[in-house]
Amino acid sequence: MTAATPVSPVAQVSGLTITLSRRGTATQVIRGLDLQIAPGEILGLVGESGSGKSVLGLALLGLLPTRSQPMIAGSIQVADTDMVRGSAAAIRAVLRHHLGVIFQDPMTSLNPTMRVGAQISEVHGDEAEAIRLLSEVGVSDPELRVRVFPHELSGGLRQRVMAAIAVSGKPSLIIADEPTTALDVTVQAQLLDMLRDLRDELGCSVLFITHDLAVAAQIADRIAVLYAGRLAEIGPARDVLTRPTHPYTVGLLKSRLTLATARAEVLPTMRPEAAGVALRLGGCPYHTRCPLVLDVCRAEVPELTVAPLENADAAPHLRACWRDLADVRGLAAHHEPPVAQSPALARAADQPAVEVTGLEVTFRPKSGARRAAPVLALKGVDLTVEPGEAVSIVGESGSGKSTLLRVIAGILAPTAGTVRVGEAGAQMVFQDAGSSLTPWLTVGELLRERLRPLKLGRAVTTTRIDNTLDRIGLPPEVARVRPPELSGGQRQRVALARATIIAPAVLLCDEPTSALDASLAATVLNLIRELRAELRMTVLFVTHDLAVARLMGDRIVVMTRGTIVETGAMAEVIAAPGHPYTRTLLAAVPELEARR
Amino acid sequence: MTITDDPILRRRFGRFGGGSGTGASTSVNYALVGLLVLVTLLAVFARVLSPDDPIQPIGDLNAPPGSPDHLLGTDAIGRDLLSRTLWGIQTSWFAALAVVASGLFIGGLIGVVAGVSGGLIDSLLMRFTDLFLALPGTLVAIAIAASLGANLTNTLIGISVVWWPYYARIVRGEVRSLAARPHVEAAKLAGVGWFRLVFRHILPGVVPTAIVAASLDIGNVVLLLAGLSFIGLGQAEPAPELGADTARALDQLLAQWWVPVVPGIAVLLLSLIANLGGDAIRTLLAGRR
Repeated sequence: MTAATPVSPVAQVSGLTITLSRRGTATQVIRGLDLQIAPGEILGLVGESGSGKSVLGLALLGLLPTRSQPMIAGSIQVADTDMVRGSAAAIRAVLRHHLGVIFQDPMTSLNPTMRVGAQISEVHGDEAEAIRLLSEVGVSDPELRVRVFPHELSGGLRQRVMAAIAVSGKPSLIIADEPTTALDVTVQAQLLDMLRDLRDELGCSVLFITHDLAVAAQIADRIAVLYAGRLAEIGPARDVLTRPTHPYTVGLLKSRLTLATARAEVLPTMRPEAAGVALRLGGCPYHTRCPLVLDVCRAEVPELTVAPLENADAAPHLRACWRDLADVRGLAAHHEPPVAQSPALARAADQPAVEVTGLEVTFRPKSGARRAAPVLALKGVDLTVEPGEAVSIVGESGSGKSTLLRVIAGILAPTAGTVRVGEAGAQMVFQDAGSSLTPWLTVGELLRERLRPLKLGRAVTTTRIDNTLDRIGLPPEVARVRPPELSGGQRQRVALARATIIAPAVLLCDEPTSALDASLAATVLNLIRELRAELRMTVLFVTHDLAVARLMGDRIVVMTRGTIVETGAMAEVIAAPGHPYTRTLLAAVPELEARR
Repeated sequence: MTITDDPILRRRFGRFGGGSGTGASTSVNYALVGLLVLVTLLAVFARVLSPDDPIQPIGDLNAPPGSPDHLLGTDAIGRDLLSRTLWGIQTSWFAALAVVASGLFIGGLIGVVAGVSGGLIDSLLMRFTDLFLALPGTLVAIAIAASLGANLTNTLIGISVVWWPYYARIVRGEVRSLAARPHVEAAKLAGVGWFRLVFRHILPGVVPTAIVAASLDIGNVVLLLAGLSFIGLGQAEPAPELGADTARALDQLLAQWWVPVVPGIAVLLLSLIANLGGDAIRTLLAGRR
């Protein structure tokens, strides 16, 4: 079906269809997938959540959960062994000698009761080998580190230990499932460098699963874009990123936020998935969201065909789309309308919306046997936010940015210093909208709670709730639904609706989009900007992502280790960062341009 | 390309993969919960279902099970064992439910107050609870029942006094963990009052845990009640009671085994069904959350 690679591939997936059952309903998670991984190549597997990318990784490892009663058609060959129908012993042999794995969360995939060295040398080698492997993955002082337990290491170091375990058996293929997602940007960059070095040294292949095109761009030789269990396109990384041939890839690329995203325009988004399952199963899986949909897309599944590309010398670039290449290219050039600007905020600006002076917060960890040292989360923070202003607070994990927000919200009492918030009070939108909405109350009840003190009467309250939901882009029926039945994006909308049903003096946003897919994140950010213009709200936006910070704030505040190290007008700080930490952050933002 | 779905064989993962959540075990669990409901119905309608008066001697002495008029036989003075057992089940089951309900109420109240207030009140209430947990519960229950006078009401009072600390602990722990969840923080921020916060945002989350704990506990109470009644801390003589009936007829064990064994088996089945049903409820609730 596809052009044969000259060397026999490390892994070969052909005609793979995987059906998983959840609570009695069977879903095809992977549908007729063909894929090869050549020796020594890094294949980036990119897709949104639910695209089936992790399931494919688990299937290659022969580790699909029995609980979901996997049904497999087609074949998976790793190192010439059938991973679907092979004997248990044969599959174990492949896992031992040919496969290595790095999962997203090293804390849960490392054994907390075993020393790091023992885990590395559990299958192969001895302690000397463990020390050698640790230095190979770039852990300093490996002689000391083999003796520690996983909880004594930082997230980045834990992930390096995972990598050391993965390469301990000299595997021919490493499967890395979102290995950098839980890490700070600066650590992420280091880890990607390490993975590439490992590949260069050991000559193994890597299947790098990620939702982030920019991360794939940093490391992959080829990129495969997965949508609803089918390949949308696959080709050389540069080609896929610079000359995408599938409308889905175009959408993904456009909804990615970078330091170059136009600030004055509405952020490009993809159409949300609204169609029912039955409709989606026929034809091209993307047809319900595709802006270029044709009749044939609804009826027939497009085959992967070689895209007629300019440079024919590189590896073939395959696409599964009925549209002509020219039409897809046209889509990429399309521009968005300008963002709604808030009319000049001619409010009596004598009172700042938020005024924080000399703020200090100290956590005293309660501990039984050992008395832990107090943790200084905030050390003397001063911040004034004028009414109508949008301020982005940027910092890595542990910088104290969320603590600052929680103190302003009044959830956390400061150890020293004062906080003053405007009369209408502060409202907050949390990172994980799902856990911030009481699961057993309906959306309507959650919204009504904020209106209770106003004593508006039943009819007025209902109208107000309907209007708020409408403003936020949700149908009024949502009021009768409980949060667990909503999608991630819808939940974040409900959280926003609750925060803005009465306009607050300041809207505090704690990374509200970091758990969402790129396109959904852009939708939520658009919404916050619209709401800000409409309600003339002050917004304090906390994020670890400089690209997002740049879009959401007029002013930027950079925090690290509990202090503000730099603050200033957004454009100026991005163009000419004053503090070395800001420069590090800027340099670590992953860009599509590969750094090789 | 032909698509032939073949399921990955169970044997490969079977040893490690748990069987929970599959279709078959769900229906087994529903059946077990159905059994709980059945026992409760049996207890409610015991008086209608029993063929004879359980107190009046009406038949042959010591008739074996399977006799034409007496399905489970009769005892030493000719009372119908089926009727006595049914009445006994009614007493045992309702008494167990009452004890568990009182434990749930007292313990739940203390647990919620401790969990919500925290700080000094929490410490005081929990140390008080620890005090009760440190006492040998059964002995204290016996002592209370004996000092108040041996009858069923006093036995229930005795057990209830020592039965709540378990629930106080569970409820308090659950309240603490729910109160630390972001949705409670978000509700506070939304301006929700204290009362509403506790009753709408925290308590509904405690209910499933409390139900599971309570349903697993019914079997224990059935056994304890039977035990206390066996040693004479139950209803007085002619009243049908499972533990006491077993004790009184114990000397017939070799001659007419069915007289003591029938009520004994009833106790066994009651506590077994209560335990299995409780487990089933736990599994079903865990699957739903």
